[in-house]
Amino acid sequence: MNNPIIWLHGDCLSPEGPAFQAHPEAPAIWVWDDALIDEWQLSLKRMVFIYECLLDLPVVIRRGDVAAEVIAFAIESGANQVVTTESPSPRFQDICRKIKRSHPIEVLPPEPFVRYDGYIDLKRFSRYWRVAEKYVF
Amino acid sequence: MSQDMKREFASRDELIAYVRQQFPEAAARDSSVPPILGGRKAAETALQQIDPGKYASTRNFLNGAVTRLSPYLRYGVLSLAEVRDAVLEKVRHPEEAVKLVNELGWRDYWQRLYAQLGNGIWQDREPYKTGYTAKDYSETLPQDVVEGSTGLVCIDSFSRELRETGYLHNHQRMWTAAYLVHWRRVRWQAGARWFLQHLLDGDPASNNLSWQWVASTFSHKPYFFNRENLERYTKAVYCRDCPLYGQCDFEGTYEYLEGKLFPHGEKVDRSGGSKSWERPKKGRRN
Repeated sequence: MNNPIIWLHGDCLSPEGPAFQAHPEAPAIWVWDDALIDEWQLSLKRMVFIYECLLDLPVVIRRGDVAAEVIAFAIESGANQVVTTESPSPRFQDICRKIKRSHPIEVLPPEPFVRYDGYIDLKRFSRYWRVAEKYVF
Repeated sequence: MSQDMKREFASRDELIAYVRQQFPEAAARDSSVPPILGGRKAAETALQQIDPGKYASTRNFLNGAVTRLSPYLRYGVLSLAEVRDAVLEKVRHPEEAVKLVNELGWRDYWQRLYAQLGNGIWQDREPYKTGYTAKDYSETLPQDVVEGSTGLVCIDSFSRELRETGYLHNHQRMWTAAYLVHWRRVRWQAGARWFLQHLLDGDPASNNLSWQWVASTFSHKPYFFNRENLERYTKAVYCRDCPLYGQCDFEGTYEYLEGKLFPHGEKVDRSGGSKSWERPKKGRRN
């Protein structure tokens, strides 16, 4: 039987998000990515804003190395799976790869804005929009 | 494994003090606090206040009915689909929703590109069309822009607003980016990093690719502006107090500024093309 934890990252801070919808009882974790904060030289106001977003969610807040903290939280929760929401960020992919070495990970897609799965040319916005506007309304 | 961080705070001030204490390096970089509240409840309140019709007609003006939803969209506190549905519910005819939904489309577009390009969003997508090559641009931001001490009241105000509030109107972003890249000849990456430090909605894809659009490394032509354009969309709030009024760097027609900024560049065709942000319409010098 699945006994997951939810890993929340910076693209999915909604209580209505797909991970909470799929697993409303699962414990959830957010990890402040110390290396990223340093790399991006984030200012205090961005961090306060994110912290306020977290306080509206049922989530445990920690900091450090994201993958290591998520794995530790999964182990202490007795979880056999990590569930999260898709993100285009390459850093997200790296973290998923690390988590996968320890726990299976399920990545859920967010609710689509454009309900179309076919090819869309992204060379310029105008080309994208020519297709998207047919499916977005 | 680290310890759980605090979740209970008696007030916003207490939360801010805690974040300051936990992340002293971030506070040392810039200790301003955001005037925009984070969280789902605040996002829902902001969503209720949108006015799609007014947005379409006034959004380019600094005092226009912009939604200020971008920080919530950035962190997925609200989804694009959710905002689109709320917009459609608010309007009597779907046509009234088109402009706002089209702007939401920009975020979807940037995210799709990010999925394709990954860290490639930090590299020039195309060569500059300014007559210069990447090596002609400085790698670092001029200190007077960062500190807001150029003497140009508009640019100094945008710099201060960015640092103090973490929010800039889209037009302010365009003007600041164009000033840095085209007037000060700074590589867009330096400006993009600066914005990401401060913008509450700072998203690498939307941010970097928009900078590239201004720079012309992701568009057919560089974006630039003149004083008349800035004065019009700001209702002159900066120009009227500016000691450089009438003789600032942005003074003159588009043809004049084009010749000055891009003496070796391709002639800019203003009859159409990429429209990620408002460009001067043909025959109109706004």
